Amino acid sequence: MRALVLLWSLGPLFLQLFSSLVTPETLVDPGKIAGGGHWTLANYRALLGASPSFGRYLLNSAVVGSGTTALTLLLAVPCAYGLQRQRGAMRWSVMAALLGAALFPTVLLFLALLGLARRFDLGNDLLALSLPYAGLSLPLAVLLLRTAIADLPPELEEAAQLEGLDFGERVRHVLLPLLSPALASTAILVFLFSWNEYPIALTWISRADRLTLPTAISRIAGSSVYAVPYGAFAAATVLGSLPLLLLVLLFQRSIVSGLTQGAIKG
Amino acid sequence: MSPGLLEGLLMLPALLLLALVFLWPLGAMAWLSGQASSVLTGLTALPNGGANWLRLLGDGRFWQDAGQTLRFALVSVVLELLLGLGLALLLQRPGRGRAWLRTLTLLPWALPTTVMALGWRWIYNDPFGPLNALLGLLGIGPYGFLSNPATSWLFTVLADVWKTTPFVALLLLAGLQSIPLELRESLELEGAGRWQRLRHLTLPLLLPYLSLALLFRLTQALGVFDLVQVLTGGGPAGSTESLALYAYLNAMRFLDFGYSATVVMGTFVLLLLAVSLALLLWRRSQPHRRPA
Amino acid sequence: MLRQAPGHAAGNRPGNRQPQAGVLLLVAVLTLLLIALLGIAQRHGVAPAAAGPVPVRLLMPAPFVDATAPLLKTFHRSHPNLRLEVTRGPLDTEAMSDLAIGALLLGETPYDVMLVDVTWTARYAAAGWLTPLEPLLGNDALEGMVPGARLGNHFDGHLWRMPFNGDTGLLYWRTDLMDKPPADTAELEEIAGRLQREGLVRWGYVWQGRQYEGLSCVMLEVLNGFGAYWWRPSAEGVAPVAGQTDLASPGAIRAAAWLQGLIRQGITPQAVANAAENETLQLFAAGEAAFMRNWPYAWREIENGGGPVTGHVGVTPVLAAPGQQTGGTLGTWGFSLIAGSPHPREAAEVIRWLTAPDTQRQLVMAQGYAPTWSALYDDPELARLQPLLAVQRRALEEALVRPLTPLYAQLSDLLQRQVNGLISGGGSAPAAMAEAQRRSSVLLDAASTS
Repeated sequence: MRALVLLWSLGPLFLQLFSSLVTPETLVDPGKIAGGGHWTLANYRALLGASPSFGRYLLNSAVVGSGTTALTLLLAVPCAYGLQRQRGAMRWSVMAALLGAALFPTVLLFLALLGLARRFDLGNDLLALSLPYAGLSLPLAVLLLRTAIADLPPELEEAAQLEGLDFGERVRHVLLPLLSPALASTAILVFLFSWNEYPIALTWISRADRLTLPTAISRIAGSSVYAVPYGAFAAATVLGSLPLLLLVLLFQRSIVSGLTQGAIKG
Repeated sequence: MSPGLLEGLLMLPALLLLALVFLWPLGAMAWLSGQASSVLTGLTALPNGGANWLRLLGDGRFWQDAGQTLRFALVSVVLELLLGLGLALLLQRPGRGRAWLRTLTLLPWALPTTVMALGWRWIYNDPFGPLNALLGLLGIGPYGFLSNPATSWLFTVLADVWKTTPFVALLLLAGLQSIPLELRESLELEGAGRWQRLRHLTLPLLLPYLSLALLFRLTQALGVFDLVQVLTGGGPAGSTESLALYAYLNAMRFLDFGYSATVVMGTFVLLLLAVSLALLLWRRSQPHRRPA
Repeated sequence: MLRQAPGHAAGNRPGNRQPQAGVLLLVAVLTLLLIALLGIAQRHGVAPAAAGPVPVRLLMPAPFVDATAPLLKTFHRSHPNLRLEVTRGPLDTEAMSDLAIGALLLGETPYDVMLVDVTWTARYAAAGWLTPLEPLLGNDALEGMVPGARLGNHFDGHLWRMPFNGDTGLLYWRTDLMDKPPADTAELEEIAGRLQREGLVRWGYVWQGRQYEGLSCVMLEVLNGFGAYWWRPSAEGVAPVAGQTDLASPGAIRAAAWLQGLIRQGITPQAVANAAENETLQLFAAGEAAFMRNWPYAWREIENGGGPVTGHVGVTPVLAAPGQQTGGTLGTWGFSLIAGSPHPREAAEVIRWLTAPDTQRQLVMAQGYAPTWSALYDDPELARLQPLLAVQRRALEEALVRPLTPLYAQLSDLLQRQVNGLISGGGSAPAAMAEAQRRSSVLLDAASTS
């Protein structure tokens, strides 16, 4: 059973790895592998040697991802804290609105957000792109963090107050350290979202050297028009997945616990 | 200053950004859906009454896409919930390498949709793709997975299920972990079988998690875009086109922004209807439980 | 669903002194930060008035960038006052179109010159993104070009585009399977069927049947080959739309039925319903098909590819039904000047140079591009180097241009859907074409009344 699940989950990924490492002729006729000598790194060389290099897209995505994550946390933590301190109708209405926004399929916003980019001249600017990304990640981030704050024992803050710590110190020495697991998992989720986001990047970014990974991948021009550039596609998907692979492997505990415990305490 | 007000101010920056990113766009789209703004007006907006909305009502393609999007959403969400539940139960079972299993099954969900859509495009390739190679070994095929309008949508569903099931499983896993072990053990002592435990203990307690997963997946699936755009481009014969893709094409390819906004708003209305319907059905099926 | 956590009230107890200044400061800083982000990101197009070469920014699909790279070196030597900044666009025409439109919509005139597909001309011109070229290049700019190459560059009385190459659809055939190419569609069917029955080749004829622009190109050729018309330009010109479709005519129905029949008879694999140029080329180059419809680039790819059919391929203009006029779809690229370019004069100079006979001559020799100038087809040296030129000229003389209207993208899209549905799913040709005609009329009527 487990083997079957793993085959189902990882099979397509291994296929990609395989496709990226063989010559186009072998790709169409894998029987040739038996003959040997059909493995190649050409797809990777072509991608990294292209102009702009594929590394550039990874960097761009990393920039947007970091900017988005930082901005989201910066806004979400105070918001979650403030929300947790609200009572009654105010709190419920804000939480309902956040839940609605978290459920909203963001693709429906692309045209209006394009309008925003045009009006404020934000197109082709990676840091500016993290503005809508942060906005779109906020609902989930606030909901996650609010639950985490709610789970903190209230006596802690009182005790800290009695100790004479001021607000800033309490935030720094009590709140943030206690929240750090939730912060980590929220950060990962936000980073994943911005790393993978497609429709808005598609409309906000047109310059080749500013493309993020998903848009770049959908635009890869093969080294030759002769072969369907599946080898290049596959190499691109492998390169684009590696950072995420690392991230997931490193933070799997955080993701699992954060997403599950925070999102839906019910 | 009343208690809570000051802390309320802490929410302000986030709420401002949310308004900019959610409310303003919705308002702008509602406005634009009442304008002619296309290549024929030189891309300037001119009020045209309700012409866009009239066109939408009579637009066979919009309704066809609505049906297709709904079909995609319902089938993929049901499959994802069923498989996700199974996967969650499997992941919960103690055993060697459980942490690794969780991590590895989670991978498909973490990858960008465009990345995995390209992967599936190759898997489905006719005649060279791996799936057809497999069929070839069995002496069948090749089959045009993405070239048959009657069946292609099923393969977009399959790709979506592959990617999203781990996410659903993860949510449900959290639910499973919240079920106290003692409850299970006491049922076991009473002699309840595995199936009975699932029916009388696990499922009822999992219900909030299931409904949240359902709600979340349903709304996301109704907005499906990346997968379809990269995997099929909406073809063959428009049989996999989703509403979001139609809105995108109207804006970015046909340069008809007024109508694109109308399609977006139309989709929004349908989305609200679908969600309210889902909530209504859910409430009705739960006469004794108040929605928490 | 979201639990109200107990015991949160502690922080709100009256008398519990909150450091209000700190909170207010934090709020203020965050809000300012947001606004500042908006402000910083808002870059103003400051044109540096620095002396030195004038920059001219160019957007081309990647293969054209590679092909012209050596030429641009020459250009820089002979034009020290200009500096070309070339951007590589994607390979796929529709991806390129998305990129170009995305860039133009963002509105900062990111390029001065863009390589534009023949079907974009009317739409871009109507959107106000292009600058007319005739004031800069003269009214006779296209004088001396093969007639087919002059099509698709004018709209609404202006010249919007200088053609860069003269590509048309062509028919590829296997010289190892037959002595001469078929003369018409009926003969093609017969030869293909016979070769398949004899087991000499798996498939008869492959073409582009995926739901994308390539199918419209195929369809235009087949419509013409069966004596039908996609588009009838109206003389009086209903201003923005400029014509009517005629897709439900008997000839149009025969055309669609022919494509459907090819698949039904097994001459064409069902897989073409999802095939673009590259997929068909992959099949043909692997020796799996006797005939292929494709663009001139396929010739170079096959000849340089070293596959099983290299050296066994012939090329001829696309075929028509017996007794009908043949014609291949014009698939040219051309240079347009983007409105709002700060250096229109210099940009026009670049366009003139890039499309000049001398430049094209180099491209014919190095890349085998089909030229647009008649004189180059008469050049014996080029004819010797590029055996395809004679065929290309014949094809270019009878080239077919796709409907010249700003609404072309929609018209093409809805025709693709109907025809792709017909060849992949079934249904009848009369019904599919009637539906295509009905939807086209609805679109055009709505547009001309608005």
